[in-house]
Amino acid sequence: MTPPRAALPRTRDDFHAARGVLVVVRDPPPAVPPARGQPPTVPADPAEGVEILVAVWDDGSVTGLCGHVDLGTGLRTSLAQIVADELDVPFDAVAMALGDTARVPNQGPTIASASIQISSVPLRLAAAQARGWLVERAAARFAVARDALATRDGVVFVAPDPARCVSYGELVAGGHVQLELDPTTPVKPVALQRLVGQPVPRVDLPAKAAGEAVYVHDVRRPGMLHGRVVRPPYVGVDAGDFVGNSLVAVDEASIAHLPGIVAVVVIRDFVGVVAEREEVAEAAARALRVEWKPWPGVAGLADVKNALRTNPATRRVVAERGDVDAALASIAQPLTREYLWPYQLHASIGPSCAVADWHGERATVWTGSQNPHTLRADLARLVALPAPAIEVIRLEASGCYGRNCADDVAADALLLARATGRPVRVQLTREQEHLWEPKGAAQLMQVSGGLDAEGRALAYDFSTSYPSNAAPTLALLLTGTVAAQAVAFEMGDRTAVPPYAYAHLRVAAHDMAPILRASWLRGVSALPNSFAHESYIDELATAAGVDPVAFRLRHLDDPRAIELIAATTRRANWIPHTAPQGQGSDGNILKGQGFAYARYVHSRFPGFGASWTAWVADVEVDRVSGEVQVRRVVVGQDAGAIINPAGAVHQVHGNVVQTTSRALKEQVPLDARGAPEAREWGAYPILSFREVPVIEVVTMPRQGEPPLGIGEASSVPGTAAIANAIFDAIGVRLREPPFTPETVRAALGVATPAAAAPALAAPAVPTGSITPVRRRRRGAWSVAAALVAGALGMAGALLGWRPALAPVGASDPSLFTAAALSRGREVAAAGNCAVCHTAPGGVTNAGGRTMATPFGTLVTTNLTPDPDTGLGRWSYAAFARAMREGISRDGRHLYPAFPYTAFTRLSDDDLLALYAYLMAQPPVRNEVAKVDLPFPYGRPAIAIWNALFLDPGAYAPDPTRGAAWNRGAYLVEAAGHCGACHTPRGALGAERGGGAYLAGAMVEGWEAPPLTAASHAPVPWTEDEFFRYLRDGHTREHGSVAGPMAPIVRDLASLPETDVRAIATYLASLHGPAGDTAAVARSLAQASRGIAVDSEAARLFDGACGACHHGGDGPVLVGRNLPLAHYSSLHSTRPDNLLRVILEGVRDPATAQIGFMPAFHDALSDRQVALVAAYLRARFAPDKPAWPDLESAVARIRAHPTP
Amino acid sequence: MSGTGSPPLRLTVNGRDHDVAATPGTALLTVLRNDLGLNGPKYGCGLGECGACTVLVDGVAARACVIPAGGVAGRAITTLEGLAQEGMLHPVQRAFIAEEAAQCGYCLNGMIMTTVALLARRPQPTDAEIRAEFARSLCRCGAHVEILRAVHHAAALVAHEAK
Repeated sequence: MTPPRAALPRTRDDFHAARGVLVVVRDPPPAVPPARGQPPTVPADPAEGVEILVAVWDDGSVTGLCGHVDLGTGLRTSLAQIVADELDVPFDAVAMALGDTARVPNQGPTIASASIQISSVPLRLAAAQARGWLVERAAARFAVARDALATRDGVVFVAPDPARCVSYGELVAGGHVQLELDPTTPVKPVALQRLVGQPVPRVDLPAKAAGEAVYVHDVRRPGMLHGRVVRPPYVGVDAGDFVGNSLVAVDEASIAHLPGIVAVVVIRDFVGVVAEREEVAEAAARALRVEWKPWPGVAGLADVKNALRTNPATRRVVAERGDVDAALASIAQPLTREYLWPYQLHASIGPSCAVADWHGERATVWTGSQNPHTLRADLARLVALPAPAIEVIRLEASGCYGRNCADDVAADALLLARATGRPVRVQLTREQEHLWEPKGAAQLMQVSGGLDAEGRALAYDFSTSYPSNAAPTLALLLTGTVAAQAVAFEMGDRTAVPPYAYAHLRVAAHDMAPILRASWLRGVSALPNSFAHESYIDELATAAGVDPVAFRLRHLDDPRAIELIAATTRRANWIPHTAPQGQGSDGNILKGQGFAYARYVHSRFPGFGASWTAWVADVEVDRVSGEVQVRRVVVGQDAGAIINPAGAVHQVHGNVVQTTSRALKEQVPLDARGAPEAREWGAYPILSFREVPVIEVVTMPRQGEPPLGIGEASSVPGTAAIANAIFDAIGVRLREPPFTPETVRAALGVATPAAAAPALAAPAVPTGSITPVRRRRRGAWSVAAALVAGALGMAGALLGWRPALAPVGASDPSLFTAAALSRGREVAAAGNCAVCHTAPGGVTNAGGRTMATPFGTLVTTNLTPDPDTGLGRWSYAAFARAMREGISRDGRHLYPAFPYTAFTRLSDDDLLALYAYLMAQPPVRNEVAKVDLPFPYGRPAIAIWNALFLDPGAYAPDPTRGAAWNRGAYLVEAAGHCGACHTPRGALGAERGGGAYLAGAMVEGWEAPPLTAASHAPVPWTEDEFFRYLRDGHTREHGSVAGPMAPIVRDLASLPETDVRAIATYLASLHGPAGDTAAVARSLAQASRGIAVDSEAARLFDGACGACHHGGDGPVLVGRNLPLAHYSSLHSTRPDNLLRVILEGVRDPATAQIGFMPAFHDALSDRQVALVAAYLRARFAPDKPAWPDLESAVARIRAHPTP
Repeated sequence: MSGTGSPPLRLTVNGRDHDVAATPGTALLTVLRNDLGLNGPKYGCGLGECGACTVLVDGVAARACVIPAGGVAGRAITTLEGLAQEGMLHPVQRAFIAEEAAQCGYCLNGMIMTTVALLARRPQPTDAEIRAEFARSLCRCGAHVEILRAVHHAAALVAHEAK
């Protein structure tokens, strides 16, 4: 299928050079003189010529061009409706070009809901003008008067004789006609509109639902590389001397081991890495050692309200009437209030991404920016090219609601592309997007006013402090291209003037520079300002003893507002009241209804009014937990003419959900430095599906009026409506969103429900300890004898008395029987030889893995039969001596990290089979470092150690026990050497005996939990549970295997089932009878449900972990969601295993069914990990004491990652 | 190839076997997007928190950003691109289009894939079951109302077409 011509041109020149087209153009509007404190406007470059608005092609297709972009709002669809309607062409004949700088007009940033209200105007005029020209052409062709012609579906016809017709395509065929936009062109009257005002399906959704749409994240260019950036330590702050001046050094050698690194790019504080593959770029950004100067942090943000009060500001009075000071001096009922808005995030679901290509004197950048022309000017400045030499191609991206990191990442990509000369795609991480996006600023609103003697609002003295600016594109600051100064903007005045007829009024904006990097976010300064206006007037109504809606109406004279409020409250069944009602409250659930109204006034003061909006919110407040649920929202809106009613309703829905989320949940947490701490969704929760209210939209019929901004405008009164509803429910006024359970509990004076556990039902664990006794403990005499022997042995060692055994030629594997090899494989699996004798990423059993011991770091040896570096020249005698006595072939003592104290128990047959198996493997040449520990742990000392702790000899069965038990004991004690990890060691590093056997120990930073009755497992172990745990790597009653145990379970898979069963039989015998384990599990579940209190920790857990870990009320995902209450790691005395799993994740589980867990190392701070761990302990092990000093434990484990 | 001489990683995606040059520890999401050129699954958080990257593994929803590709070798992986049958979009996709259940659409992949997995398990889910299933699927634009409708619509379509 030939694509329509309308979709083809990429640049203005393509339009100008085309034949068979009619274009409507305009001269670029004159540069707007820069306005102080407003978002930068970038004037058009005259060298780029006229701006094209509409093109009608000879194939009947039409291009519409607009400088604004579709952010998921449906703008592409609505603009196409306008063009198609005005031109009288079929809707699908129109292709919209949005945002691409090489072709669309420069209409500034897509902000303030102004796209339809303002930016569609020239487009509509151009379409009308094109239609006029086509009609005129047809009039000449048919020699009739213009009035005799009509248009429909891209055809002009003679109205009384429709057979006389000509298509638009024919009228433009062969020529190139260019019309200058005539702003006086008449447009269609409402009565004749066919598409505008009709619901039209979004044009972009089918491709998106099919996975065919190309977002900026999906751009792929030939030869494209992948980049990542490394950001400086001054997290989320963009002004100050340290910005661009903090880098000390970058150590490129730290990533030399990674394959396919193309470049490390460093320009002052800008640091980026480029690699052939994305996962390598990701690993490089993580591994690159970068040294920064210390950053002291942001002072004073521990108290945001005070920080806003004291931030240097310029007071600017924007409205004044009457005599506020005099009125306040004489007021009958004064009321002074402060309202505080928190820092919030745009929180785009997809972290920003861009692709750039550098062609020397020109560059191309693919971006999801909201303001492509402004971005182009920034990029030009960054790389010192003229703006027209940079082509900014705008693609759809993850929704943005102001200014996220889309521009930042485009600049990052351009720098990396310039450095490499190849196209580079840069993807920011979730952590970077959360930390660095320009925040929606905190804002402080202060009101003094009150009522006169008749209960009318008399005065309103309002000031608002909004610390935000345009958030300069980061790379400009990091590279020092632009000085990182704290510039104040004048944008706090949006909707700062209340809509009410207060007799004496003064409104002042306190213009101030940002504290944290901040820029516009949906409802720019208006949402907070309106929150204050609408909360305050509710407070006045209560003080006056008047229904809040009636009180507002007394002070409103705008007829459209009054009609809207009437329609909205009618739909919502508003019940007039003069005091908090708590209607229909039920037990601990208190119910309330709240109202608020606003007309969003945006852009430079005095600005433009967008739609009128009224909200009625119904809430439920749990007076014990403090949780607020918004149950129903009725939104009334007067948006003037509506282009696409379906799209308008979707926009309102979206804004209700987002506003409810911001009101109830959203606040950027700040760390001790005052820097943003949220790096993922647990620390910055947004509304979940569970919390979405019923939403009803009331639309006022105003098709004859000009269209007004819809989406953003509908959000503005939302927060106050919710706060007012909470007041109606509980009688307490909340003036500082978000209205979290803690806020509500504090307001109600309710103590935080104790995390103290409901007493755990005494677990049905029979007491009576069973002490496993390792056989053959020595008597005092044998110890003495051994010491003598050891001393002799040591002397011998020093004198070289342990002989080297002669090297032999390589064994011929064909001499070993298949049965021997098979048995040897099982012994190797039971012994997990490969776990220690394989280096990460290395060949199995070829050695080279480093092992940290308390006495020093060792390197494991090569077990393959390579003659020079492995066991190739070892006779069986040498092998058996090493296994039984810990003596290497050359006569040196082996360190007992090699568990010969266990292997000595192997039977002769197993030992021989193992030898045969190892000798039959392919030889691998791998020279491993020979390590000698420093004195006093040198090899000679091992002789004494052996005398004390080595008890050579094969396992002797216990005749009082059955065959299975003896087989299990043999596997555990000999090949399995379970005690090597699970038995605590004495000062000299030997496994302790007696009751300490298998009683749990620390190994490589992990706790090998007790396997005996000392187990921390809350549900008692049974033979069956041991069997399933070792076989599957997980059970419902004991959770899943992690850490160094995972590869052990994988090895056990090659053991016969009877052997694993035998191990289980033996291990279970170390425990008493288990009793009713199901009852224990039930009581654990009961106890953990009882203390699920909403708190920062609970929200962190829910957001970060809750997709996989939940009690059955969440999604079903691949992997096992096992009850956390059953994991022994949560019941242990040490938090180490839990903390390691949180920090390091589960990347290589014992079995595939267990599933995978990400490492939260980079996503959660020490404090946050500690918070989650403490929460899990309190919730799932409520009978255990809290772990002390968790935060330092996190830091310690972070500093010593699992090798 | 990966250059280490190790055998290529073999994945079964949308019914076809693919040998890819990635190391087994590479996130499945990265392999699907970069080695197989699939745009359906999206990178959202890399932590399995948001659901934008959801695919099906043996018919069960899976968050591709937290799964090492080597961990699902040999299992049947389905992406958004693999739902259509004989040139016809899957009923869940059609239901989402009909209800206009997206604004920017970045989360749409996860919403559709999660619905397909849910309906395979619970053909007629209640509203509470749907909300629980989507409790950790994040949408920032606020298309929740339309998404909930789309899931119900999809359940009806699937049931109807099964007849």
